[in-house]
Amino acid sequence: MEDYKFLFKVVLVGNAGVGKTCLVRRFTQGLFPPGQGATIGVDFMIKTVEVDGEKVKLQIWDTAGQERFRSITQSYYRSAHALILVYDISCQPTFDCLPDWLREIEEYANNKVLRILVGNKTDREDREIPRHIGSDFAQRHGMYFLETSAKEAENVERLFMEIALELMEQAKCKELPKYDGSLGPINGKTTSVGDSSCCNRS
Amino acid sequence: MSVFLMIRVFHMTTGWQVGCCGCCSALRPRYKRLVDNIFPASPQDGLVKTNMEKLMFYSLSSPEKLDRIGEYLFQKVSRDIYRRRHGYVIIAAEAMDQLLLACHAQTLNLFVESFLKMVQKLLESTDPQLQILATQSFVRFANIEEDTPSYHRRYDFFVSKFSSMCHSNHSDKKMRDRIRLAGIQGLQGVIRKTVSDDLVENIWEAQHMDKIVPSLLYNIQTAEKYITVECLEPESSEVEEPSRLAEACLRELVGRASFGHIRSVLRPVLTHFDRHELWVPNDFAVHVFKIIMYSIQAQYSYSVVEALMLHLESRAGCGAGAGGVRAARANVLTHIVAIAAGDSVGPSVLEIINNLLTNLRTSVDRDSDKDEKLYQEALINALGEFSDHLPDFQKIDIMMFIVSKIPQQRGKGSKQDETLQTILLKSLLKVGLTYRTTELNRAFPFAFLESLLRLSQSSSPRTRELLQRILHTLLDRHDNATRLASPEINYSQLGLSVEKCSRSDLIFINKHGFAIYSSLYEGLQLESNRVSNMSSIYTSAALLCCEVASDESAPDLLQLILSIQNSALTNPVLTRAQKCQLHAIVISLLALLPHCMHLPRLAEYAQKIIENRREEAYELLPPLREDYGDVQSPNKLPYLMVDQMTVIECVAAHGVDTSRLSAPSPYGAGARRPPAKHSWIEAGATQGRDSLADITAGGAAELDSGNSSPQAARCSPCLEPLDDEYMKFYDRYNRGLRTTMQSFGLYHQNNTEAISLESLRRAAGGPTEAERREAERKRGELNNTFRTRPFDQLLHATMPKYELKEKLEEIFNSISECPLLPAASPNKPPALDTYFPELFMY
Repeated sequence: MEDYKFLFKVVLVGNAGVGKTCLVRRFTQGLFPPGQGATIGVDFMIKTVEVDGEKVKLQIWDTAGQERFRSITQSYYRSAHALILVYDISCQPTFDCLPDWLREIEEYANNKVLRILVGNKTDREDREIPRHIGSDFAQRHGMYFLETSAKEAENVERLFMEIALELMEQAKCKELPKYDGSLGPINGKTTSVGDSSCCNRS
Repeated sequence: MSVFLMIRVFHMTTGWQVGCCGCCSALRPRYKRLVDNIFPASPQDGLVKTNMEKLMFYSLSSPEKLDRIGEYLFQKVSRDIYRRRHGYVIIAAEAMDQLLLACHAQTLNLFVESFLKMVQKLLESTDPQLQILATQSFVRFANIEEDTPSYHRRYDFFVSKFSSMCHSNHSDKKMRDRIRLAGIQGLQGVIRKTVSDDLVENIWEAQHMDKIVPSLLYNIQTAEKYITVECLEPESSEVEEPSRLAEACLRELVGRASFGHIRSVLRPVLTHFDRHELWVPNDFAVHVFKIIMYSIQAQYSYSVVEALMLHLESRAGCGAGAGGVRAARANVLTHIVAIAAGDSVGPSVLEIINNLLTNLRTSVDRDSDKDEKLYQEALINALGEFSDHLPDFQKIDIMMFIVSKIPQQRGKGSKQDETLQTILLKSLLKVGLTYRTTELNRAFPFAFLESLLRLSQSSSPRTRELLQRILHTLLDRHDNATRLASPEINYSQLGLSVEKCSRSDLIFINKHGFAIYSSLYEGLQLESNRVSNMSSIYTSAALLCCEVASDESAPDLLQLILSIQNSALTNPVLTRAQKCQLHAIVISLLALLPHCMHLPRLAEYAQKIIENRREEAYELLPPLREDYGDVQSPNKLPYLMVDQMTVIECVAAHGVDTSRLSAPSPYGAGARRPPAKHSWIEAGATQGRDSLADITAGGAAELDSGNSSPQAARCSPCLEPLDDEYMKFYDRYNRGLRTTMQSFGLYHQNNTEAISLESLRRAAGGPTEAERREAERKRGELNNTFRTRPFDQLLHATMPKYELKEKLEEIFNSISECPLLPAASPNKPPALDTYFPELFMY
């Protein structure tokens, strides 16, 4: 009774303090932990969602933003199906680092990985990066874009559901082997989900 | 009811489940019933033991059902986790464990699938208790040795999850440590499971190592202090700190790494240090690298050194203080090269040295700031530390190698060249310091000596001084160097230790003495000399005195002393101060010689001059001074100088051969012998003599070590002939009569010069002393051979091969005349006339 049809690995990356862990907590546990400490290394969460009547299991790897853990976090990119790149809309430096992150993703992740840019903390009054700037950046680099607030639970559910949907469609369209009970993932090559031509990039 | 009965009947007849509704336990297949029965009504009661035994018995007797049992148990676990009935989860996990352990290897595969799914399910839970439970189950599984490989099994998730657990940040410290411990244990399990089996996941791939290694290091670095031990004592299985377990795990991992895998472990290690900025301060890095060195298979330890060396210059993780990081890395290298040295052989040794030298050169090319200097120091230290742990013969090789890398200065070298030269000489000195000289000819192979002496004429005073210090370390066998650091006249208080000069050393000094002396002499004549140059050359000369003083070498030493005095009187380029310094050196050396050998009259004479100088010419006595302000020009009054004739008288009285002393100085321009510049190129040509000398040196060394043998005592009065012979050979050579190998041993017979009864008698003495003793050693053996072996073999053995023939001639020659010794008469026929036929009469 392995009760899911698809298993996808989602990795969150981005500068320290942009709210990656809070996004994951909000999504998996429905709570917003105030005063969340910095993540060390990598955290792991699991959530099964239902998309189009199919059960999809999301393995969510929540990486530490701190520079010093970069070497271990990079090793998690490789097998990811989707990478969520998070920045803080009220903190310009976290946005300025995005090109560096993209370079890193380019280097360590599968080149066909699904990439989503997320501007977090929309609840904050002191916005520094206007929505269209983020959206432009995402478009330029072929990423999905979404603004969220983990605190207000805004767009969080939607973020992961869309990822699940998109990955599932890619999987179906590519006739990928299903993760039905076999242990662990199939390695990066076989899971390389669709090329951009078959997916509607925004 | 009837329907129910019908179904029941159907079941009883077929004994098989057919998609039944399962509303009654009796309708369920047997294995399901057995599984269900192991769960108690209340989870607090724990596993129902008797029913568990039944289940085990069933699964062992019908192993084909194992996969279903596993699958069913897994489903129960999943459901219980979902419903948060943790009591039942624990019971199910325990049952799985017991079944796993009870299974036979052949049937294990059927069950493992479900088992691992269960473990994964437990690990996915957010409850730390369940994660720890999962780890324990996994470790139990990992310790089972399977004999059937499972190609499709993947450990990717486990590595990821366990690594994540190693970084647990749980708010409760106790729980945090437990989770981390579990993570490490899990990783250990994965390693054990995969490392020995090539067919399953390759644990050495970067994607795994990049997770495992940083996780272990992160836990090791949390230890309060780092105590590095060579070998961990067998782990006490109970409560451990994560840091200790992580260390044990790292050791296990490194210990299992084969050559190809070492790099996959080292790369993440280096990256981790860069990322976490753990190079400065570097105690943790030293700790970890020592752990690696101690646990790695000895034959691969070289590759750790290599990897670290390649990383020395890496820009990664340097931030602002690149130089500091480099220095710290080099420092770590210093700590570990010693461990590697013991297991390095041949090419790898030279490669390490070469790498270090290359790094030094790169460093020289950069701007030299404080950090860069530290880096260079650290590299040189590493070099020293490494060679310290190599056998002596390799040290010589290394020194020769370093010498060959020193840029030769022609004219005015660039500043970088000069810096490099200095640094390489420092390295050379460092290696030299680790070398324990036993025999001079071993310490100074010819090519090495040649390069050293060439450098001693460098235009940079700093280089010359370093060079002399290298000579000091190599010459000084009795720890006199510090006592002889600067010129001195009261040797009796210094407590010098002097030993009788050995045969091989005498041969060495006879062969190369002139080159060395003349380089010292030339060194003293340079205008750019500072006090430190002067005293370092003094030290070299003084050490030579201590090491090789004997009746044979005394004339050469005295001649050097007299020549130096002569140069102080005549050399126009020298400053006043330098002249005074030379005089002080002269008197110091003169006073030293009688201290090293029995020459009381010379001692007296030296003392007299010292007294005189003390009264009238204080500036001509040590210590050396930078500035002799008030002195107009050094006093040249005869009674203040060392007088050649008096010296000759003094030493002749003690039976030292003085013929050479009366000749004019051989050093410097216009001398009787070739000027020093060429002298030792020609000395190089005398290598023809080397082969012979080497033989004799070898033999002599053996004999000298057995000091109690009567021969050693007997030959001491006959030390002079060799010396004389050598001189004659030298003269003859310089006239262009190149001695060929064939006639070599006999050159003294053609030598018609200076015929006297004395020289004839000596000539009749046959081959040199050393040769004779070498021959004596072999004589018995050879005689024996020729007596006992069949003629054919002998004939074969004496086939006229080039060298063989020559050697045989030499040996036979001595054999035949040895019985006549020591009463050899002057008119004895040349040794070569005795030829094979005579010998075969035995």
